[in-house]
Amino acid sequence: MRSFEPPRRGAACALSLGASLRQLRTLALGLVGLLAGLPSAHAVPSFARQTGQECAACHVGAYGPQLTPYGVKFKIGGYTDSDGKGGKVPISAMIVASFNQTAKNLPEKPEHGSVNRNLAMDEASLFLAGKLSDKIGAFIQATYDGVGRTTALDQADIRAVHTTEIAGKETTFGLSFHNNPGVQDPFNSMTVWGFPYTSSAFGFGMGDAATIINGALEQRVTGLSAYTFWNDLVYAEVGTYRSLPVTMQSRLGLGKADDIGRLGSGTAYWRLALFQDFKKQAFNVGVFGLNTSLQPDRSVPGSNRYNDLGFDASYQFLGTREHVFTANGSYIRERQTRNQMFANGEADNQKGRLNEMRVGASYHFLQTWGATVGRFTTRGSRDASLYSEGYANGSPNTSGYIFQADWTPWGKESSWGAPWANLRLGAQYTMYTKYNGAKSNYDGEGRDAKDNNTLFIFAWTSF
Amino acid sequence: MKLRSLPFGLLLLYMLSGGGHRAQAADLERGRDVFATECAECHSVREGKNKKGPTLFAIVGRKAGAVADATYSDPLKASGITWTPERIDAYVSNPRKAVPGGKMKYDGLASGTERADLLAYLATLK
Repeated sequence: MRSFEPPRRGAACALSLGASLRQLRTLALGLVGLLAGLPSAHAVPSFARQTGQECAACHVGAYGPQLTPYGVKFKIGGYTDSDGKGGKVPISAMIVASFNQTAKNLPEKPEHGSVNRNLAMDEASLFLAGKLSDKIGAFIQATYDGVGRTTALDQADIRAVHTTEIAGKETTFGLSFHNNPGVQDPFNSMTVWGFPYTSSAFGFGMGDAATIINGALEQRVTGLSAYTFWNDLVYAEVGTYRSLPVTMQSRLGLGKADDIGRLGSGTAYWRLALFQDFKKQAFNVGVFGLNTSLQPDRSVPGSNRYNDLGFDASYQFLGTREHVFTANGSYIRERQTRNQMFANGEADNQKGRLNEMRVGASYHFLQTWGATVGRFTTRGSRDASLYSEGYANGSPNTSGYIFQADWTPWGKESSWGAPWANLRLGAQYTMYTKYNGAKSNYDGEGRDAKDNNTLFIFAWTSF
Repeated sequence: MKLRSLPFGLLLLYMLSGGGHRAQAADLERGRDVFATECAECHSVREGKNKKGPTLFAIVGRKAGAVADATYSDPLKASGITWTPERIDAYVSNPRKAVPGGKMKYDGLASGTERADLLAYLATLK
């Protein structure tokens, strides 16, 4: 079967086969090429230097990527808002290091690591993030994956915006050129930017099965979307995607081996949301969707169709920013028409569904001390062939909880080293109640869901 | 009789204990909270600390567009405004009406009570 790995939040899925100098050169050229193609910008200090704001202005808990209403508007504004002073260099960097422990040793020894208790430099990222002209901004991330030992283009979002008035209300029109459906979304409830914001490279994610909008296409596609934001109230967006040629994926460091195949020409993404910023509190509620087909093997005709429909909402109590509560949730319903898989005997059923629910709530004190709890469930129709090896009962079902406590000492107005020094130290525990179809012996070799419980202690810094 | 005199006794105790002063302090406290909620993302109260907007330290009595190293819109610089409490109140109430073409992205604070608390707080910044 083709299983879709969920994205690693706030991080890179560096999927390349190697990080040769040639690849690095090509990656740099690729970035330049992307920028040259346009006439001329979530958690990066270059944004803070550009706006003159502290990180806490845009991010809950003074560290990304969870956006405050101010951060939402900054992103919709194309990363172009500034304090009006020149001379700002839109470059930032980020490093994540961690200690990882699973309840039971990993089933297999990682290529670069041990079967348990791994100490890792998870990633080092370089960002081009900020205003490139009055109407063009970018957020482009290149990442060295310290676990996979590869370097690749990570999240990328280049925007052009224009603001005018319609019916006497401020209205923003924008174009976004990006490489992952949802990476351009300004709200915290979209899965790309949802909790957990960083997670263990040695962990088990949220199960092996995931919807196509939840990370399956990241970095392997290019997307162009047009959006509008009217009266700080209504957000609407439509877009389309094309899969990157295999050679381009290789040049960007993504590798050929994990090519997703070819997207159908009628790929459509859409998004509609209502947003309200009451200063003391804020919320958004919306719907989104991705309709596409995917030809897994580019050399053999036959494709599978995916229709994703999502509902999401979030609420923030901001008050005086001393006590901040947030709640985010999303539900994605995916209808799969597995024409290619059914014809090849990879699936027993031509049609199936896969549903994902993600909810989370957080509390931050003094924009420094944070606690977050998340609940995730993935449920789908059974298919013995599609969900065979590594699954129990022909079921993709996975569920569990994530708990996180973190400390963010800087990122406020009077913080030491502001706006250059930024740090989050955290401890995260993922607890599985079901994994790949069963609570116990899901892999047929005696491994239980709880054996995958993962402790992830991390240090996340950016400058 | 004793029960009837209780309210007066409590009032006397309140006044003797500085209750009137506390009522004023409470306004300032609320004003500080209003500032934190409505203004602090873009403005600092520290002297010389400009964010996206200029510092609001010693704002009362200052001429508009007068803070060095802060950037202002042309309409605000040309407005000739001196930030009296009345002018600040009008501006915070509806920035776009008070200074058409200004660049402050703020819809305004509708509550007169909150504006009064905010003004009381801003007046202490000197």
